[in-house]
Amino acid sequence: MAKHDESRRKFLVGTAIGAGAAAGAALAPQALAKTAENHGSHVAVNEAASHDAMMPLMGGSHGAFFNDDNARTIAAFAERLMPGAPGKPGATDADVLNYIDLALSGPYADEQDFYRRGLTQLDAHCVAAYGKPFRSLDTTHQDETIAALEHGKSTAFSWPTAQAFFNTVRKHTLEGMFADPIYGGNKDFAGWVLVGFPGAQMMFTAEDMASREAFTREPIVGLQSRLKGKKT
Amino acid sequence: MATQKTDVVIVGVGAAGGIMAAELGKAGIKVIGLERGPRLKTADFEPHDELRYFQRQDLRPDPKRMPVTWRPNANATAHPIPSQNNGNQAGGGTVHYGAVSWRFHEDDFRVRSQTVERYGASAIPEGCSVIDWPLAYKDLEPYYERAEYELGVSGKAGNLQGKTIEGGNVFEAPRQRDYPLPPLLIDQVGVNFNAAAQKLGLHPFATPHAILSQPYKGRPGCTYCGYCQAFGCHVGAKSSILVTKLPEADATGNFTLITGALCYRVNSDNSGKVTGVSYYGPDHSDNTIEADVVVLSAFIYDNVRLLLLSKTEKFPDGLANSSGHVGKHIMAHIGARAFAAFDDRHVNVYMGPSAQKNSLDDYNADNFDHKDLGFIRGAQVSAGPAGLEGGPLGTAMSMPPPPGVPHWGAVYRDFFAKYYTRYTALTGQTENLPYADQAIDLDPHVRDAWGLPAPRMTYDWRRPNERARVEFIQKKMVEIGQAMGAAHVWTAPFGPGAPGAHHQGGARMGSSPKESVVNKYGQTWDIPNLFVMGSANHPTMSGFNPTLTIQALAYMTADAFVNRYKKNPGALL
Repeated sequence: MAKHDESRRKFLVGTAIGAGAAAGAALAPQALAKTAENHGSHVAVNEAASHDAMMPLMGGSHGAFFNDDNARTIAAFAERLMPGAPGKPGATDADVLNYIDLALSGPYADEQDFYRRGLTQLDAHCVAAYGKPFRSLDTTHQDETIAALEHGKSTAFSWPTAQAFFNTVRKHTLEGMFADPIYGGNKDFAGWVLVGFPGAQMMFTAEDMASREAFTREPIVGLQSRLKGKKT
Repeated sequence: MATQKTDVVIVGVGAAGGIMAAELGKAGIKVIGLERGPRLKTADFEPHDELRYFQRQDLRPDPKRMPVTWRPNANATAHPIPSQNNGNQAGGGTVHYGAVSWRFHEDDFRVRSQTVERYGASAIPEGCSVIDWPLAYKDLEPYYERAEYELGVSGKAGNLQGKTIEGGNVFEAPRQRDYPLPPLLIDQVGVNFNAAAQKLGLHPFATPHAILSQPYKGRPGCTYCGYCQAFGCHVGAKSSILVTKLPEADATGNFTLITGALCYRVNSDNSGKVTGVSYYGPDHSDNTIEADVVVLSAFIYDNVRLLLLSKTEKFPDGLANSSGHVGKHIMAHIGARAFAAFDDRHVNVYMGPSAQKNSLDDYNADNFDHKDLGFIRGAQVSAGPAGLEGGPLGTAMSMPPPPGVPHWGAVYRDFFAKYYTRYTALTGQTENLPYADQAIDLDPHVRDAWGLPAPRMTYDWRRPNERARVEFIQKKMVEIGQAMGAAHVWTAPFGPGAPGAHHQGGARMGSSPKESVVNKYGQTWDIPNLFVMGSANHPTMSGFNPTLTIQALAYMTADAFVNRYKKNPGALL
């Protein structure tokens, strides 16, 4: 095993990423275990199973596109955009990093350089402001940084602009939260559970449409999977 | 390189082209239809996938392969717009549209005359190039009825032979027959909208949709899954051209559809007639169709682009452009938007027909007095999901949070988690006016995947008249949101001047060759065996969605073609 494997393993488990793992998860979501630390959200926690299930698929490697540092940065950025909390699954729970990583290795391949340059500029901004890259900042400084990007207040960016980079990561984070799990995010329907969306239902009845209550009939329906017994 | 011969070649088999193909085929006319995209099936549309169809727009042109560029004015650099309105497959935009199916008002066909008569000539905004249509509502009324009954439209009459009917649109133009199908079931968004509007003394009603509320002509009724706008219908209840007219065209035995065909030129001879078209096949082959008549019924971008690309020594400014009006007077609906969010109820906006669920017409057209308002014409106001389809991704992308709520972080998460199932968007679909400098030409810098210049739009809706209209409508929508009893009511900030939805114009119809490109049948003034059809023909746009009018006009043209043109080819209709 490579010498970084242990720290990578901790990182992957801790942040619930793992592009390869969740690529498999999209095909067989129940077969792959949950993450060790997910803010106490709806998913069951089984650390031992997590290691066993993930490591063979990891193969000692990382996701399909990002290097490990960039993966940490995007995972942290996405988590600040849509943070998890008890009972409120966030970007880490939804495996947004995996969604973005798979998208950049496939349908969004023409945005690879946008991300590479954006991430380089992001770290240049953070090193100038705080002496550390984004992934190593505390959450207060991460939030300050994101706000600076959102409002175009950074001199470290040329192309992409700070706002363009913020807007794109935000858009892709929301895609990873709310797109069907087949694309590698919205793990265990985390995003749909968060907002109370029942998925791609093929019909609603007159009674459903007459109701002023939350729609809770199970299962949540995805392209390849169903979820019953969700916690609310 | 293949060469085929036919009576009529139709470029773009959507709302207009699909009707022409079926009706001409029934009359024994040999038709070849060219479609740059695929021909999909109802089975292709299940199950539903919001990322693929809403976010990545899988039923629309790929803007990277088929760019359309936009600039706000002639001094600015044009860039490709991120998404296009039109469809990219057989059936065109009717495959993915929200299926909202209106008849235009009587005064929608005579905006200039109506305005001058009621408010005086000075009420026409400076630079506005508005003209009356060369036909009146009553001329088109039988064809509206035919489209509603042949395709299948659900709704409730509000004016039946001059008699006002409560619960329908009391502002609609008089109709001879009610809709063939009753309105779709109402959902909680509609219930709340109707109650609020009635409280304010307004006249809400169920938006007419080309979606079957009951089984009709062998197709099943709607399942209320909510995947209408941006999606194909998984049961075929949406009355798209794909499931209505194309099977009819097939059954005639006179119709051949060629998919994956990118038409790049209309061919013409020195006698001043067109002789057919050239197109690239999916294998990049260069092919020719020789035809007695050419019908361009692509979206406005390609209709205009083809006319301009097909210039010759005889037609140096492009085909059918002796007037200089090709590409001019384009228009787009601007969606003025407000949002209402409830603390005391869920409205589950993702259920039911997705686009423009319930409407009111009180502030549309010239249905209200514009004296001293600072603008003419109006907007149709409707309630529905922010993204015109109700999934969480569409809503997240389309609904800005209220003032005080950031766009990210724990506060945004909590806002979205609480209100996603408890919000309604209100949209004012404004009738923006034509101006001659709102135009499409050929982009000198940007080319498509075939190496052809991209259509370039020059357009900025932020003119005084249009801005005043949007501000007026937003205020009215805030009143409605408040009357709903919403805990939060807020508006969307105005965007840049980019064109919104339902782009129209570019080959407008008129009463004379000097002011227009085509006559009321879409027949070009300059070249009688060349027809241009679809929303490119519209001299004004109404606050209503355009598709049923495109379809009614296509039925009218098909009738004239079969009954008159066929007997006397080449003559102006």
